[in-house]
Amino acid sequence: MTEASDRTDAAQGIEGVLLANRSRVVRFLEVRGAGDAAEDVFQDLWMRLTERPLGPIADPLPYIMRAANNLMLDRYRSARQSTLRDKAWSDTTAAQAPSAEHVLISRGQLALVERAIAATGERPALIFRRFRIDGVQQRDIASEVGVSLSTVEADLRKVYAAIAMVRRQFDA
Amino acid sequence: MRDVRNTVAEAQAIDWIVRQRDPAFTDWDGFADWLAENPRHSDVYDALAVLDQDLGALPSENAPSLAAHPAAPRRPSRRMWFGGAIAAALVAAVTLPSLDLFVDGSRIETAAGEHRTVRLADGSSIEINGTSVIMLDKDRPRFARLESGEAMFHVVHNDRDPFVVEAGPARIIDLGTAFNVVRGERQTSVAVSEGVVLYNPHRDKVRVAAGQAIDTRDGDVKPPNVRPVDIANVGGWRTGLLVYTDASLASVAEDLRRTAGMDVRVSPEAAGQSFRGALIIDKDRERTIADLAALSGTRVERRGSGWLLTR
Repeated sequence: MTEASDRTDAAQGIEGVLLANRSRVVRFLEVRGAGDAAEDVFQDLWMRLTERPLGPIADPLPYIMRAANNLMLDRYRSARQSTLRDKAWSDTTAAQAPSAEHVLISRGQLALVERAIAATGERPALIFRRFRIDGVQQRDIASEVGVSLSTVEADLRKVYAAIAMVRRQFDA
Repeated sequence: MRDVRNTVAEAQAIDWIVRQRDPAFTDWDGFADWLAENPRHSDVYDALAVLDQDLGALPSENAPSLAAHPAAPRRPSRRMWFGGAIAAALVAAVTLPSLDLFVDGSRIETAAGEHRTVRLADGSSIEINGTSVIMLDKDRPRFARLESGEAMFHVVHNDRDPFVVEAGPARIIDLGTAFNVVRGERQTSVAVSEGVVLYNPHRDKVRVAAGQAIDTRDGDVKPPNVRPVDIANVGGWRTGLLVYTDASLASVAEDLRRTAGMDVRVSPEAAGQSFRGALIIDKDRERTIADLAALSGTRVERRGSGWLLTR
């Protein structure tokens, strides 16, 4: 539930909003996987959000929550990265170009994912691409393809489920 | 069993990832609640969300395929040309940073059982029931679109600039009003508690006044019939009182999900059964469901976190 008090004045700056919502953000970080380290991650988040000047943000709390979520994703990514690096047999990561260092998925795996997407059918694959690669909103895709919004949602679920299945094989 | 639970968690994680791609996504508390439900949720989400980020490396629709052996040979189709043309037209949108948080929140989505009130610049307000999606447009302050779910509109009337609500193919124009709109699977219901609204002014021109309601299906050829309703019960979900004179059990179950976040399933042979009566959304949900079972002559069984009604 979103209360009116969340909407702290943007003029107060991101620090003010961070302070006012400290416990809420820390709780989010806790359940988001930071556990006992949530306070440390909050400090990290603080540094990241305040180190470069930001213009006024219309809705600062969702902005902060999204940044917190992305920070946790970054942490997960680097943790996975070192695990993968430790596995000597994992030539997939070793073969990657330095520029792609942050990408966990190998080229071969990406091709597998692409094939799984194609196998879901022409329309779901098209809708997924418009949504995920081209960044088009679901509603615009619906009118573009000439289907209902719920069809777009269902197709996206279908494609993501197929991707999740392929991913399980990577872990195996 | 473990696999089944994993799949459920994955499906839920996917829903969050898809919703969070919308720059206007704000339901971080709902997301936190889901994470808190089970400590594994965070892992499931991380694994899929990181993969989703990596999918940014996939080629665009009109770029050559990465797959060495595509499932089917690609023929140069109309779709490819179409995709290319749109991609070209969308260059501006594509080159925006993926984390575009500076847009005004124009899409409001509520979780099951979540009620929200949005105040508009002109003094009008919209009370939104659970599992609903409303689109606002900052360039059109006197407009709202109910994608799905239910909302009560309290509109400040302006003769020169009527407030327009869209629901599916239907347009509802206020003539000074408070009214409740339900947008379901290819159907729309409107009930008015104050003033008058005009339904589909370009076609049906049906006037619905205070104490009246209409129920329409997408693609209806004839204008809808106006039926009487008790003004006190219009938008009853806001106070936790749901009153029915003749509703299917399936639609009552849908209302309970939306209004109170209750997971109520109805067995196929009971779904079409007609229901009359008043339901109070009690703090004790067991009581609400027991009332519903008693009033509808059905039996209730606990199913996981929800209930199943059977004959």
